[in-house]
Amino acid sequence: MPALLQLNQATIKFGGLTAVNAVDFTVNDGELVGLIGPNGAGKTTVFNLMTGVYQPTSGSIHFAGQPLAGLRVNEIVERGIARTFQNIRLFGSLSVFDNVRVACNLHRETAAIHSLIRLGAFQRDEAAITRRAEELLDIFNLRRFRDAPAKSLPYGEQRRLEIVRCLATKPKLLLLDEPAAGMNPTEKVDLIRLIQQVQKQFGLSILLVEHSMKVVMGVCQRIAVLDYGVKIAEGSPAQIQSDPKVIEAYLGEDHHKSLSHH
Amino acid sequence: MSEFLQQLLNGLSLGAIYALIALGYTMVYGVLRFINFAHSDVFMVGAFIGYYLGKLVPENTVWGGLVVLIVAMLGCAVLGMVIERLAYRPLRGAATLNVLITAIGVSLLLEYSGQVFFGATPRTFPAVFPSVNFTLGSLVISSNQVVVIVVTALLMVGLQFIVYRTKIGTAMRAVSLNPKAAQLVGVNNDIVISFTFGLGSALAAAGGILYALNYPSIDPLMGVMPGLKAFVAAVLGGIGNIPGAALGGLLLGTVETFVNGSQWSTYKDAIAFAILIIILLFRPAGLLGRATVEKV
Amino acid sequence: MPRPHLYLLLGLLAAYGVSYFSDRIDPYHLDILIGVGINIILAVSLNLVNGYTGQFSLGHAGFMSVGAYLAAAVSLFLGPKLLGEEGGTAFQQGLMFLAALTAGGLGAAVAGLAVGIPSLRLKGDYLALVTLGFGEIIRVIFQNVEFLGGALGLNGIPAYTSIFWVMAFVALSVFTVTSLVHSTYGRGFLATHDDEVASEAVGLNTTRYKIVAFVIGAFFAGAAGGLYGHFKMTITPTGFDFTKSIEIVVMVILGGMGNTIGVILAAILLTLLPEVLRPIAEYRMIIYSLLLIVLMIMRPQGLFNFKFGKTKL
Repeated sequence: MPALLQLNQATIKFGGLTAVNAVDFTVNDGELVGLIGPNGAGKTTVFNLMTGVYQPTSGSIHFAGQPLAGLRVNEIVERGIARTFQNIRLFGSLSVFDNVRVACNLHRETAAIHSLIRLGAFQRDEAAITRRAEELLDIFNLRRFRDAPAKSLPYGEQRRLEIVRCLATKPKLLLLDEPAAGMNPTEKVDLIRLIQQVQKQFGLSILLVEHSMKVVMGVCQRIAVLDYGVKIAEGSPAQIQSDPKVIEAYLGEDHHKSLSHH
Repeated sequence: MSEFLQQLLNGLSLGAIYALIALGYTMVYGVLRFINFAHSDVFMVGAFIGYYLGKLVPENTVWGGLVVLIVAMLGCAVLGMVIERLAYRPLRGAATLNVLITAIGVSLLLEYSGQVFFGATPRTFPAVFPSVNFTLGSLVISSNQVVVIVVTALLMVGLQFIVYRTKIGTAMRAVSLNPKAAQLVGVNNDIVISFTFGLGSALAAAGGILYALNYPSIDPLMGVMPGLKAFVAAVLGGIGNIPGAALGGLLLGTVETFVNGSQWSTYKDAIAFAILIIILLFRPAGLLGRATVEKV
Repeated sequence: MPRPHLYLLLGLLAAYGVSYFSDRIDPYHLDILIGVGINIILAVSLNLVNGYTGQFSLGHAGFMSVGAYLAAAVSLFLGPKLLGEEGGTAFQQGLMFLAALTAGGLGAAVAGLAVGIPSLRLKGDYLALVTLGFGEIIRVIFQNVEFLGGALGLNGIPAYTSIFWVMAFVALSVFTVTSLVHSTYGRGFLATHDDEVASEAVGLNTTRYKIVAFVIGAFFAGAAGGLYGHFKMTITPTGFDFTKSIEIVVMVILGGMGNTIGVILAAILLTLLPEVLRPIAEYRMIIYSLLLIVLMIMRPQGLFNFKFGKTKL
């Protein structure tokens, strides 16, 4: 079966800097993959390539067999890739409910003009969207915050909301950019459970960029390691942990402690 | 050919004035990342200071003209610093749009106060510098044009000196590149910003006097059009870029003068805006500016 | 907002009701009401662009002028042909006027599309300036079009504007903006304002949202322009300059960007204020500009905005 997401020699250069260098990478249907590497390795840049924020200078990216070249960010979301951001990007001034609701626009049944005409079809569509958004909030225990402004949520809830918002777009592939950033050990345990729950309940594939080894090792079936824009290793968590190249890359940053302890 | 040279001269003379005003816009944008809408009205105040002072000095003398110029520049420098202190500093760190709107408010305040206190009817600017015409072949050069070109050149050299050879100038450049870092190395941002406003306003005042010398009808709303055009010049050259402002001013003045002399003269005001739109759409960084990319 | 159509109907009925009793209202006050109504339409339509969608447009008066000129052209040039020498019945005139206003609105909408498509990829200051530039270009164009009166403008425009038409369009514009915004689709405008990057990441086409807001805003500005032209009976290019755009922007800011009720209140306040300040008319604009400065420093969320505390503009 062809891979869900396939990067072929994906490369991007910014002026003289090659941020991502000829990376071959796949995510298969139903997989939970991790992408790790020292700071500045290019992990978020890879995400940005996958989501259409950047266009690769060379190489290609295919999703569900279709090339993503030249597509706008929102078009790629339509194809089924959703992402969270390293620095949470919620719609702070909108309510929690509206944050999810606005993401339901992608799968709206009625056209925009119906917001003015408001016949039966529109009412039914809106009711379905409301139900769906509330269900999602329910599943993730955010229902009680429904009408609060998103920016007033505690940090952990904000991260959860960002994931819920992604789910509203009915993605096939979920990209999580450092979801454990700023979390304490208990919160990280909850996050691991959350990610596993999301995958099982929604039948998604998930690609995770993370620094926290605890989360990555605890959740990923396969891990790829990036350093200076190049993929230096790939394999199971056990393989990665003992790979000398990986240890070297992290040693350079004095990270080898975190590799074995976290 | 001589027609062309004459227009070129006129264009450079107008362009020099635009350049002076544009420098103020660009310097303030450089240190504060905002467009000081009220700048065009400081230009107007400069012209009016010159008008009232011009009555006190004898006409047609070089020293009289210089006194008027210098006093107007000083007066507007103070005005610029006062505006910054009262209207813009309280909004340091607020959303750019808020400050933009405040700037619009200050601009309107100056214009309408001017209308109340100076009266809306135009006045004639006194001939503070000696006014003679030279002929060079078939070229007619008015002494006022010479004054414009000489004064502008001197002021720009002076500005270059200040920005590149003095401590405060270096501080200005530091703040425009990275305000937080500048503070960390001991720069007092407030003083630098005040100084920038003062400097920019002084140049605007000079522009006002020079403009009034060549187009002697002055009124409280005289700054609106030249101000907008000078702003376009600043964007054309690359907003935040000092040589760019000068280049933009000269280019715009020249283009406008040529359009004015052609069959499309009634569209001359629209030319500046057309240029603005074209630049912002195709090369927003301007001729000499550098494009910035937002990090996601 | 539940059942916006009901409110629209009520609004139209109110319009009819008020106009029925309009001969009992003294003409001076009636004129003021008409002025208030036109400003409400302008402010509410701009609010969709500036307030809800967060695109700072400084050229709204340009669209108003396109509408004013187009509507006037329809009445002045097509009117006599369609209505005949005597001018037709009141009903026919009404129909003609509706056609003129719609033409004005559509013309302005087209202008909005023409301006919006290139401009809306710019942000903040730059967008403000480009829209300002376009507004000025529109003014200069009208100054140079001789058959539309050139610099002297058009006069002798038939006085079709009545309190009914004004109130009807107020109801229509408020209905359109609010029903649009208070729908799942409409949340997209707010999301675009809040965070464009995040909006694209949830599948929204932010450029399309911005253009839609711009075009709808322009449509109603054009309709307001048509109403204005048939009220003052004279229009000149300079009447629709940058200063006019600023006046509308002030109403939106005072009302609290993205707050339709606040904006309506602000439009009312700022239309009545000059009347109240008439004895000191000279100082009106000075007070106006001071108000703007003080407001930005003290209460940037506007006078009538009681939402989530200090909202980022």
